[in-house]
Amino acid sequence: MARLVVLGGGVSGHTAATFAAEWLGSAHEVVVVTPNAKWNWIPSNIWVGVGQMTKEDVTFDLAPVYAKAGIKYHQAKALGIHPEGNETSDKPYVVIESTEAGKAGQIENIEYDYLINATGPKLNFAATPGLGDANGLGEFTVSVCTADHATHANEELQKAIEKMKKGERQKFLIGTGHGMCTCQGAAFEYIFNIEHELKKAGVRDMAEIKWISNESFLGDFGVGGLHMKAMGFAVSSKIFAESLFAERDVDWIIGAHVNKVEKGKVHYELLDGSMGEEEFDFSMLIPPFAGVGLKAINKAGEDITATVFAPNGFMKVDANYAAGAYENWKASDWPKTYQNPTYKNLFACGIAFAPPHPISKPMSSPNGTPINPTPPRTGMPSGIMGKAVAHSVCDLITKGPDAPLHEASMAHMGAACVASAGKGLFTGTAAAMTIYPVVPDFEKYPGTGRDTDYTFGEIGLAGHWIKHILHHLFIWKAKLKAGWTLIPE
Amino acid sequence: MVQEIIKYPTPPSVEYGTDVRNFNEDIFSLIEDLKDTINANNLEALAAFQIGSYFNVVVIKEEDGTFLELINPRLISTKDKITTIETTAYFPNRSAEIQRHDAISIIYQDRDATQCSLKASGARSVLIQRKLDYNFGATFLSKLSKQEKAKFEKQLEFGSDIVISESCPTTFKRDYFVKASNILLIAMVLLLGASFFVSDAIHSGMWNIQLTLSLVALVTNIGYFFYAHYEAKLYTSCVSCQSGNIIGTTLIALVKIVVITIVSYFLI
Repeated sequence: MARLVVLGGGVSGHTAATFAAEWLGSAHEVVVVTPNAKWNWIPSNIWVGVGQMTKEDVTFDLAPVYAKAGIKYHQAKALGIHPEGNETSDKPYVVIESTEAGKAGQIENIEYDYLINATGPKLNFAATPGLGDANGLGEFTVSVCTADHATHANEELQKAIEKMKKGERQKFLIGTGHGMCTCQGAAFEYIFNIEHELKKAGVRDMAEIKWISNESFLGDFGVGGLHMKAMGFAVSSKIFAESLFAERDVDWIIGAHVNKVEKGKVHYELLDGSMGEEEFDFSMLIPPFAGVGLKAINKAGEDITATVFAPNGFMKVDANYAAGAYENWKASDWPKTYQNPTYKNLFACGIAFAPPHPISKPMSSPNGTPINPTPPRTGMPSGIMGKAVAHSVCDLITKGPDAPLHEASMAHMGAACVASAGKGLFTGTAAAMTIYPVVPDFEKYPGTGRDTDYTFGEIGLAGHWIKHILHHLFIWKAKLKAGWTLIPE
Repeated sequence: MVQEIIKYPTPPSVEYGTDVRNFNEDIFSLIEDLKDTINANNLEALAAFQIGSYFNVVVIKEEDGTFLELINPRLISTKDKITTIETTAYFPNRSAEIQRHDAISIIYQDRDATQCSLKASGARSVLIQRKLDYNFGATFLSKLSKQEKAKFEKQLEFGSDIVISESCPTTFKRDYFVKASNILLIAMVLLLGASFFVSDAIHSGMWNIQLTLSLVALVTNIGYFFYAHYEAKLYTSCVSCQSGNIIGTTLIALVKIVVITIVSYFLI
């Protein structure tokens, strides 16, 4: 009996673990190690952050789902990987620390035959002074990265709305809290959901809403932009976003690296090297992501973290990390199998794998500060990767170590994204976007690097309905209810 | 070499906004073509997109006759808004009222790929903004207010649909199904409202009519669903995103039909 250990129970890890358990059956063991007791459908955190959903609507307990699937579940965080075992055994293992109530802090070693690292990111609030620290979110801004953060964000939002109802103007600043952030899409959704809710509350005229991000143009979204169909035109997401911002009277600052947050004020540096300050009463700034800080130790007890992980803490996989300058980037730089090059029984998927380079054009200020979005690896691509990696591991277990690995390169994969711009059965809007491939392939598609036949988007009420339906559909799938395997990633 | 400037009604390509990665002879040749074309047509500036190139390059002719070459330009910050009357080479002899930023700061690269920055205000700021829009696939039409756009479209012989990508129109025959469905829904609502003002003897007949209307509306929407998918496949640019749109539109219409029919069942 082989044992597969999956670190992380987010979109990618949960997908990998559940499919692996389904395919392997009871002949082999699947173990999930995740510090969270609940699964969170993160895209809907936006609606929690504006009070349109509760934490309970977007989360559910993992334990009963894993029990049903025959998966062994440890509520714990992984501390280190020992891919060669230790001096007494050649069996590789992971060291975990329990986060379960009553067992918190207990250390345990779990041996594995195959390991999938799908830990997701560490929300690196400490990267920007004032945004937070090693313990997480700071006191000056809010976040929608977790369901608890989003609940807190909504509480602060309601306070701001109450102030506006009493005649006190409020300034909202939403965006990214560092020059190297990803997930601009989440901030984009949040700013327009806030705008929508303020309108509903009848206080829109009391609010000044501003966007701040590290994109070099509005609508970059960390993927170098895409086509959008808006107002009867096929245009770049830049034009679409600028029009949407103008239409909803939302001002913007882009190419910005937020370098300090204080009470009611952020300091930032722009791509042209100038420095600025922006005041706020309410601010949601997405933090940069980093690896969760896993250590790797060899048989002799030496630290080999730099061999297994990239400097940003994400795990090295079959990517080309020596692509060099922007003009040399190729689609083939991106990983296909997500297998670690040093230890073949190690895989990483979702945010946990180290991308070879950004997707957007790399940029920096004249002061040398890098300011550009880092590549998004969330949502649909994350699920597709998780499933492909699970497939590979299952084949390695059942067919032997020479079984060909399954591929899911972001340079060969399309993705669909539905970005909410306001929730409401008849008043809601969302931008539905498809992009193919996620990573531009300049050799196959000279020019934009994308197939324009399959890279498109549209905004409207129908998009909102789709997003709401997807919310229920993906929670259904994650709960492993009837027909879950038929629902695509 | 002087190049032909793409003008209405020739639709611009959907390939645009491609950042220059290799600063080579191809790019330098493109820049020279832009300069020649500016001189030949007595223009202030040209975006590469206007002569059919997808590269993110803009050339501006300065007052002293020299040229400013903007490679991979980005609009970083803006200040104040102004309303201007603009003309553009894509729509010869046409003008429109457009809101722009009065002062802007941009970054760009020069021929040596060195990052530079530039601040501009007034007419120069407006000119740069218009050229940047071109390089991201848009004429100034996308920056017009709804009223100004409607006014402008009336001046266009072929309307603005032609300005869309070569393969994705904005109006479809399937819209007739939606229109028919909406008319049926309005009729159902009117019938429901009328039922409050007629005698019980007529109610039975009204319910039958309402049921017929709901069935026709249902069939219309099923027809819409299948025809819309067929039509979307004719325009490959549209298939992926419009599938979601078609499903959403059908669902919304079906919910409306079901709600009105159920309410009618209990009230008529």
